[in-house]
Amino acid sequence: MITVDNLHKAHGPNEILKGISLTVRSGEVAAIIGPSGGGKSTFLRCINGLEPFQQGRITVGADTLGPGVQSPALLQTVRRKVGFVFQQFNLFPHLSVLDNLLLAPTVALGQPRDAVEPRALALLDRVGLAHKKDARPKDLSGGQQQRVAIARTLVMEPEAVLFDEPTSALDPVMATEVMKVIGDLAAQHLTMVVVTHSMHFARTVANTVHVFAGGHDVEFGPPAEVMGSPKHEITRSFLAKAGEA
Amino acid sequence: MIHAHPRPRWGAVARALVACLGAAVLFLLAGARPARADDLADIQAQKKLFWGADQEGGGPFTYPDPADPERIIGFEVEMAEAIARYLAAEPVFTQGPWDNLLAMAQADKVQIVLNGYEWTPERADQFEASIPYFVYALQLMTRKDDARITSWESFQAAPPDGGKWQVGVLGGSAAEDYMKELCATAPCEVAVYDGNTDAMRDVETERLDATLQDTPIVAFYGKEFPRLHNVDKPVAPGFYAIYAKKGETELIRKMNEALVVLIRSGELERIYRKYGIWDELNEQLDKFAEDARYFGYLQASITRVEAEAEAPTAATVAETTTKRSLGDLVSTYLPMLAQASLMTILLAVVSFPIAIAIGILVAVGRLYGPGWLRVPLTAYVEFLRGTPLMLQLYFIFFVLPEVGVNIPAVATAIFGLAINYSAYESEIYRSGLQAIPHGQMEAALSLGMSRAQAIRQVVLPQAFRIVIPPVVNDFIALFKDTSVCSVITIIELTKQFSILSKSTLAVLEMMGMTALLYLAMSYPLSIVSRRIERHLGTTGPIA
Repeated sequence: MITVDNLHKAHGPNEILKGISLTVRSGEVAAIIGPSGGGKSTFLRCINGLEPFQQGRITVGADTLGPGVQSPALLQTVRRKVGFVFQQFNLFPHLSVLDNLLLAPTVALGQPRDAVEPRALALLDRVGLAHKKDARPKDLSGGQQQRVAIARTLVMEPEAVLFDEPTSALDPVMATEVMKVIGDLAAQHLTMVVVTHSMHFARTVANTVHVFAGGHDVEFGPPAEVMGSPKHEITRSFLAKAGEA
Repeated sequence: MIHAHPRPRWGAVARALVACLGAAVLFLLAGARPARADDLADIQAQKKLFWGADQEGGGPFTYPDPADPERIIGFEVEMAEAIARYLAAEPVFTQGPWDNLLAMAQADKVQIVLNGYEWTPERADQFEASIPYFVYALQLMTRKDDARITSWESFQAAPPDGGKWQVGVLGGSAAEDYMKELCATAPCEVAVYDGNTDAMRDVETERLDATLQDTPIVAFYGKEFPRLHNVDKPVAPGFYAIYAKKGETELIRKMNEALVVLIRSGELERIYRKYGIWDELNEQLDKFAEDARYFGYLQASITRVEAEAEAPTAATVAETTTKRSLGDLVSTYLPMLAQASLMTILLAVVSFPIAIAIGILVAVGRLYGPGWLRVPLTAYVEFLRGTPLMLQLYFIFFVLPEVGVNIPAVATAIFGLAINYSAYESEIYRSGLQAIPHGQMEAALSLGMSRAQAIRQVVLPQAFRIVIPPVVNDFIALFKDTSVCSVITIIELTKQFSILSKSTLAVLEMMGMTALLYLAMSYPLSIVSRRIERHLGTTGPIA
């Protein structure tokens, strides 16, 4: 589903990704963990075309992003296949919860409002917020906002969803609500790449765990292997600091 | 209530903008405008003579009739009628600020200027000048109780209490030149006014020591200022001439023909007597008419006039203003002021949506457009913000006709205000757009929306709320800036106030009515803006 080949990305003189190669198969959940500044978020943003890169290739289904500036049409095609959930939710504050969900399908896909609305309401129900459909984002808790953001991404019917530290801005109770939603999606075999600080999530939900450090994918494998018997020194010290292993 | 799918709202906005632009285009097409090239042929073909004058403070030349202020009267109005009759045409009066009248002729806004313009060699060189139609002289006026000034000689010594004599004159007039020459050596200072009566009033209120005025103005307005009197005999006689654009020799020949007929038939003397401005200086007009017959259209026989005239006597016919009751003033003048405020409303209401539309495009272009577009757009904003509105209007109205772009006054005013304010608007929108977090754009893009869709559906609607207060503020500012348009002959509320207060001298009453009208226009605006703010308050501001 998603294949990344030798990805290099630099911000000016700072090299952030130093040749990442990684594959996420259809229906698989990949968790990316590792110390801050390791390039996890940047990697995710490259897949969604929010950041251009200097070298390498990212293939999503039949479409391939290459180095440099990509055509708007290609970016749009890739983004419609791969949804993105932000750490800060980024809901549209001027629209109601329901309208947050309806905007992209009606505007970007040209679907009639009446056709999208049942789907949107079903998704809100699934994240437990059907009763908040007319509320404004500012009237929701952080956890509720993030669940709306997930529903907003899903209403575009993407083939895969990227999560950029979806619970970092939330307190533990709200984080649990959101993690439960993501766990449900995993159970339904939605392809997902999740950058996370939650070792519990990585251990229990992911099929594969990748450890990013210093711009490299230093170690990856099934969670039990990577987190149970880490081979790499960096992984060991990171897990130790994170209170695992 | 804001709906999920904002497209219809933007559609409505777009339609409103298109309608406004359409209205502006209609103005462009509909305005009256004398054609270029051969004005005499145009006059004969259209049966219309476009003549320019300034009715503000314009008695006895061209001024609103105190009995019926919608009508203009004056000795020049009657002359224009007589000349037009001679040409078998209808006179069409065009209002312009006095010091811009010649520029209006040059820019084809009018065909002739007939408004007390002195004959000078410089003007006769740059424009076509007719034979004299009036001989004036310059009369010194001071306060009756001021014993310090008894003759022109008095200026040779400094005032007893020190400093310099303060003398008021009309800007651009022969009196200004005369006083400046005198004050180059004598201890006096020249204060330049753009109306005649202002200087007279300032002498009465002792802000000035004296004023130097053309004899017809003294004859007409002198009795309105009972504290003033004439000092010494009139000096430096000169002539008023009709002016036309350079090259319009046929037109001026025809003007001379008409003037000769008017002088020899006694018609001109009859008109001048009616306004109380006939004096012995003007008996020389016969001589000019005689000479003109041999010279065709001439300047050759014009030499300095010798005669020392007696000071002009008070007007015989033209009763300007007797004291009128407030009720009478209100019922006569309020309708005129109200009508002028319609022009103020028109200019503001039509130009502002255009300014908003251009402003949005410029701001979006500068923030999200391709790199090559940003430099010209930045230059556009900086140029329009960095130069005065008056200069821009002047350029469009008086200079563009030189290259064949002749836009009527109302269209010029709307267009000028719109582009000037578009620069300010674009800066407001730019800061509004920049205030929207980048995450909003990224969220929209990541949902598969195009950049244009993201700007239109996500960024602009949020920026719109932020900018409402400064935009309303700008609209109120524009409302008042419409008064600048009087430089390009527009008569809006402030200009009408100025004209009427000078012709009636009822300044306080006019001021009260004008202020009330401005309030009546701006107060509803405040209510609307407060309502918008309250509406946004209930539907929720940015989180």
